[in-house]
Amino acid sequence: MKRAYWAGGLLIVGFLALGLSTFTKSMTPYVSFTEAKASRRTVQVMGALEKGSSRYDAEKKTLFFTLVDPKTKDVIPVSYTDVKPANFEDAVSIVAIGRYENDRFTAEKLLVKCPSKYQGEEIEKQYGKKA
Amino acid sequence: MGLDSPLGFAPGTVTMWAVLVFGVLCALTYWKAMREGIAAEDFLRMGKKGGAGAGAGRTSEASLGATAGGPGLLPFEEIPSSSSLLLARRLYYAFTFSVILASVLLMSRLLTHDFRLSYVASYSGRDLPFYYLFSTFWAGQEGSFLLWLFWGSIIGLFVLRSAKEQEPPVMIVYVASFIGIVAILVKQSPFRFLGQLPPDGQGLNPLLQDPWMVIHPPVMFSGFASLSVPFAFAVAALWMKRWDGWVVRAMPWALFTFVTLGTAILMGGYWAYKTLGWGGYWAWDPVENTSLVPWLATVALVHGMFLQKAREKHRKINIILAILAFCCILYGTFLTRSGVLADFSVHSFIDLGITGWLVGIIVVFLFGGLALLALRWKEIPVVSDLDPATGKEKEEPFLSRSVLFILSVTLFCASGLVILLGTSAPILTRIGGKASQVSTGFYNVTHAPIAALIGLLLALVPFLSWRGETAAAVSKKASAAAVAGLVGGAVAFAAGVRGPRDLAIITFAVFGMAANAQTAVLFVRRRAIGSMGGYLAHVGVSIMLVGILTSGVYETKTQVSLPKGQPTPVGRHTMTFTRVVFVNEKGDVKPFDELDMSSLDDRRAKQAMEVDVTSPSGKVWKAYPKMYMNQRTQQMMANPDVQSTPLMDLYVSPQSYDPGQQARVEGTLLTLKKGDSKAVGGIKVKFLDFSADRSAINDAKRPHVTVTANFLVTTPETAEEKTAKFIMYFGATEDGPATEAPDTPLPGKGRMRIKRVSPNEGTCEIELLGVAPGGDLKPATAETLSIDVTTKPLISLVWGGFYVMMAGGILALLRRARDSRQAAVA
Repeated sequence: MKRAYWAGGLLIVGFLALGLSTFTKSMTPYVSFTEAKASRRTVQVMGALEKGSSRYDAEKKTLFFTLVDPKTKDVIPVSYTDVKPANFEDAVSIVAIGRYENDRFTAEKLLVKCPSKYQGEEIEKQYGKKA
Repeated sequence: MGLDSPLGFAPGTVTMWAVLVFGVLCALTYWKAMREGIAAEDFLRMGKKGGAGAGAGRTSEASLGATAGGPGLLPFEEIPSSSSLLLARRLYYAFTFSVILASVLLMSRLLTHDFRLSYVASYSGRDLPFYYLFSTFWAGQEGSFLLWLFWGSIIGLFVLRSAKEQEPPVMIVYVASFIGIVAILVKQSPFRFLGQLPPDGQGLNPLLQDPWMVIHPPVMFSGFASLSVPFAFAVAALWMKRWDGWVVRAMPWALFTFVTLGTAILMGGYWAYKTLGWGGYWAWDPVENTSLVPWLATVALVHGMFLQKAREKHRKINIILAILAFCCILYGTFLTRSGVLADFSVHSFIDLGITGWLVGIIVVFLFGGLALLALRWKEIPVVSDLDPATGKEKEEPFLSRSVLFILSVTLFCASGLVILLGTSAPILTRIGGKASQVSTGFYNVTHAPIAALIGLLLALVPFLSWRGETAAAVSKKASAAAVAGLVGGAVAFAAGVRGPRDLAIITFAVFGMAANAQTAVLFVRRRAIGSMGGYLAHVGVSIMLVGILTSGVYETKTQVSLPKGQPTPVGRHTMTFTRVVFVNEKGDVKPFDELDMSSLDDRRAKQAMEVDVTSPSGKVWKAYPKMYMNQRTQQMMANPDVQSTPLMDLYVSPQSYDPGQQARVEGTLLTLKKGDSKAVGGIKVKFLDFSADRSAINDAKRPHVTVTANFLVTTPETAEEKTAKFIMYFGATEDGPATEAPDTPLPGKGRMRIKRVSPNEGTCEIELLGVAPGGDLKPATAETLSIDVTTKPLISLVWGGFYVMMAGGILALLRRARDSRQAAVA
């Protein structure tokens, strides 16, 4: 019986080792725009959409826009070659995952955070809250 | 309106408190009953067996229990002092009744649009059809906790009846496992009021306005709630030192979780695929992962329980799994509802202020459970299989079902741990500094070998007995199925599947499919359909493995622009964008003019793009991918449309729509500041100054202001000062346009006119006509729809395999429920 447990233990250890090694490789750290521009690897940046900066190039199937860091006011140009996410223009903040190359942040994935229109907080701000 | 009531909606708030009080009292009374039960049994065992009020109709269970020894084995109906037990049951009924009442009250508030309640105003609205109004119950956090509790209280009624000899300790732990949720609902009540009464609610999130979202959450939460049952049995087993009996009783419940949670997860995936337009059914999003991990733990638990039942050993693993599965669901709730992952998921989560409570609940159950386990560790009997010759435990042959089951349990644990690791990455990395996320590649890379191994293991199950086989016997029995696997691999290769990983997964999966199907057929022949659940489930898993691989790895994606009315080849199909239409929930397609605004159905109709998709055989399928504005939130939504065939799904996802423009004459536009000059086609224009004539601002007929601007126009031949006028009319404008700008001829060629004047910025926009070298005629642009077309080969196997797997799960559930009803256990 002990042998089966050993084999099972080895399996778990093996997969955890595989997991951990893949983990560090597939990690995409959150970085500032300055760091993103200096880095060669896949990272993620977060910022607000600069008003009027978004443009969809139908030929290249690419969305171009500029993100602004709400604190430092740094900007970074971003391109995204995929379906334009729903609610893109209304986003309060956008997370772009990708890498910086040729003076532009090429995003592989976008996460669009929209105003919390469906969350209790909002309506309670508007109409007050009973303790 | 009673908005000043500090209780909020008083009947609801009072009922929530009643739930808390009845829950606590129920647990305490069960504890009292248990003490009395143990005392009574000691009393009975001291030589008064068969006497003391247990005269009539003693069951075989009772005598078995009494002879087997150990505390708390008598059916409590037969213990003299069982009035506490009856009271405890009544308190549980009161607890359940209060939970149902609270749910009914919240539902009544939603259905009657009582916008005094913050919850109703936040998640509901007036213009919703009944079924969506109904589903607003679980659109928010408080409501979904209440739904969880609702199922918990109902399931408890069945646990109470089926736990038999283990009722008091199991019910104590079971009720306790819900007390945390009750406390959260008392603190963050769905019945609290707003300060003022809003005229209408915020409405239901349009993404949740989908038939799948009406049924997905209730199924999901019934699965969540049922995870408390194996947990309660496992902790009660530790408490009462009942090492094997709990498995018989808890097994149908583990299978219930397997079915409900599994169904809910797949439903969620199907919704993401059909409605959300994620491009697939699975995105390894934290919300998906946190329900998948407890399900994997349950799958491991089910296998562990079979192993323990068959071999009467491996007891610790099941207790650990039952505790962990329950804690996983709590941890998942914490991850998705505390706001810790807010920056990492497409779902937006907010912190309700219950993070501390959730952490507290996890700590209590995880560490409480593990501490009890540690305390009892040495007492759990390990060896039951001694070799009479040597007096030592028999070594199991490696080629035995026991070893296979241990390995499968390990695999499920490994998979769950790896997913947990990936999902928790933002928390783990935050400790080291910068919060980071793993890409979906992490999950795919780690799960490819797990999938291949699962395929191989379940292929071997039918050929191995618990006690083991020789390699020769196994290879003889398995040869036919193995050949089927190799054929499957060869077919896949011929169809274009490449790479050892993919070929191995398909070969093992087909091997497993054949082996288990072969066995299932044998059961059907022997008229033992009730006992083939496991094999049937394995057939389903094998089918799913193939579908998951082919639809995920071998999908093709094309981005294409379709000018209106122009057939465009896309892969093997021809697609034509024909018109913009509106589609309502019944599927009626109408152009905008034909919508009937007096019907709710038509008011809720969504704008869609009609695309004719012609297959190579000439069949036409009309696709209606939706692109519509949600009026309340002014958000643009895009939903895909899918054509499903057994071999392939065609997934049409709208990307952008350009209404197009007609051909028009448009000159060159220049914006000039005072003193600026710009040149076009050899003519330089300098904006000198402007003056405004306000004398006609009170003109009785058409009040207006005339702006006169002066320019210096320089051509190669001459330099002349030119004047242009711009007249702005006020008030009613039915007499003509609001502005008027006569053309001013330029020296040599062309004309100029003023487009706009901004006195505050001191700028002026002018249009130069007949000057640009290319001419002023702008060609028409076509009305164009851009879409993403994805083919998903064999994705139907994912759904088909799933049905087979669940059919197997339900057969096993029925069989084990019957076993538990009939069994007398210690």
